[in-house]
Amino acid sequence: MIGEIMAGDHYLPGIAIICVAIVILMTTFFREYDDLHRLILTGCSEVVALCIIAFLATDLAEALILPGLVVSLAELVALSEIYINKEGLGLVPAPDRTIEVFSSAPPIIAAILVIYGIVLSGFTGGAVAGVGLLFYYLCLDHKERFALLETVSGYAWVLWVFAFFIFMMLPAYWFFAVMMAGSAIFVKVTIKLALIGTMKPDQLLEETDHV
Amino acid sequence: MSETLYLGLFILIIGVFAVAFPRNREYLTRLINTEIAAFGLLLVFLSLSETIALVTFVAVNGISTFIFVRIIERRQG
Repeated sequence: MIGEIMAGDHYLPGIAIICVAIVILMTTFFREYDDLHRLILTGCSEVVALCIIAFLATDLAEALILPGLVVSLAELVALSEIYINKEGLGLVPAPDRTIEVFSSAPPIIAAILVIYGIVLSGFTGGAVAGVGLLFYYLCLDHKERFALLETVSGYAWVLWVFAFFIFMMLPAYWFFAVMMAGSAIFVKVTIKLALIGTMKPDQLLEETDHV
Repeated sequence: MSETLYLGLFILIIGVFAVAFPRNREYLTRLINTEIAAFGLLLVFLSLSETIALVTFVAVNGISTFIFVRIIERRQG
């Protein structure tokens, strides 16, 4: 592997440079008292942390980076919601964004991305299809049912775990288990990404009106 | 190949420095400077041939920028 040779030669100098970056970031963390500045610094330190993992330079690095990215995104969404609630930030009135492309393009682009995502399948396919749905929800009005989406996502998770039981107990049926795990993680990642697309200001305004 | 790696690390250091000591201490400046560090990380991924991590990081980075801008616009609005 090219990556392994590279990592062997350049591992120590690379880690040393990254350590300098970490020291700079930590001193900034100590000097900073504004919460939002700290949140942005957290985003930057995530980049540096991923760089350390990337220096493993094997397939293990990729296997660690992919869940790390998804978890960091979920953590960022949660922290941003906590910050907004803590500070009691009001809603800004959304400016009138009536652009013709935003009403005609989403169905076509979303359909292309979702179909390509199904062809890719697995984690990457889920991400591609999810971006398509995210774009669709961002541009058009939607009346999605969160409970239904969450239920489907939960069953996909169960399927994924079940596929791993097949790997361990009935290894002869590995191909069936691969297909099951691939489609389940596809559905799960797609739904998670599509939910982010519903975070529109006017939609939030509607929700808070009901409450 | 190793030139790409060290260029990536150099850009990463520049980006971290720009995030730590921005010229004017504003949210958007820091957010945009974070993108410099992210670009350095992309070069590191590229030189270590971690394709899937690179592609996924591009997608996740775009979405997280969207989330950050959403908070910043509420904070200033």
